[in-house]
Amino acid sequence: MPFCNKHLSPLQLRSLRLFAANLAGTALMVKIAHDRYEQAHPSILMTYLLAAIAAIPVIAVIAIVGRYLARETDEFVRMMVVQALLWGLGVTFVADTFLGCLFAYPSISEVIPPLNLDLFVVSAGVALRIQMWRNR
Amino acid sequence: MKNRLRVLRAERNWSQADLALRLEVSRQSVNAIETGRFDPSLPLAFKLARLFGTSIESIFTEESFPDIQEPG
Repeated sequence: MPFCNKHLSPLQLRSLRLFAANLAGTALMVKIAHDRYEQAHPSILMTYLLAAIAAIPVIAVIAIVGRYLARETDEFVRMMVVQALLWGLGVTFVADTFLGCLFAYPSISEVIPPLNLDLFVVSAGVALRIQMWRNR
Repeated sequence: MKNRLRVLRAERNWSQADLALRLEVSRQSVNAIETGRFDPSLPLAFKLARLFGTSIESIFTEESFPDIQEPG
């Protein structure tokens, strides 16, 4: 229960571990898909399949967060997590729109854009830390 | 929403952590409710009332209570 005391509840610990494992899984899947594109120049069908496989850990991350929120009994902690997730979504949308416009220029489109999931996780994490600091 | 949580807790010599333990919530939750930054849900408000042996209305009061008009 004491989410903010650096002593995580078993549910929080389990969810955090699953979350981290799936983030690593996402990075791995994206790397595999990227390598396959570069090495094998797959067919359109294979390209769609690889992209879908790369998205599986993202779906798992959403499921883990949903499961955690459904099981978290402390409503204040749940509110803080939801607010942090909304901040994460907001930052991701803004950054995505900004980068989307920016990458329309040929000279900038050479740069690899950050993954939306990375942006979301980092911004939601920062928002949660700020919430925890404010409500310490 | 204003509340008398701090007073009720002090009367029993409970720390925020003691109350949090009894309510099965985090100490931060108790602190947020006490300082008015967070309004608890009805189940938690009932739990508080039961714990202090009083009614919800005697713990929580609205800061400005507008007159509620009866429908014509």
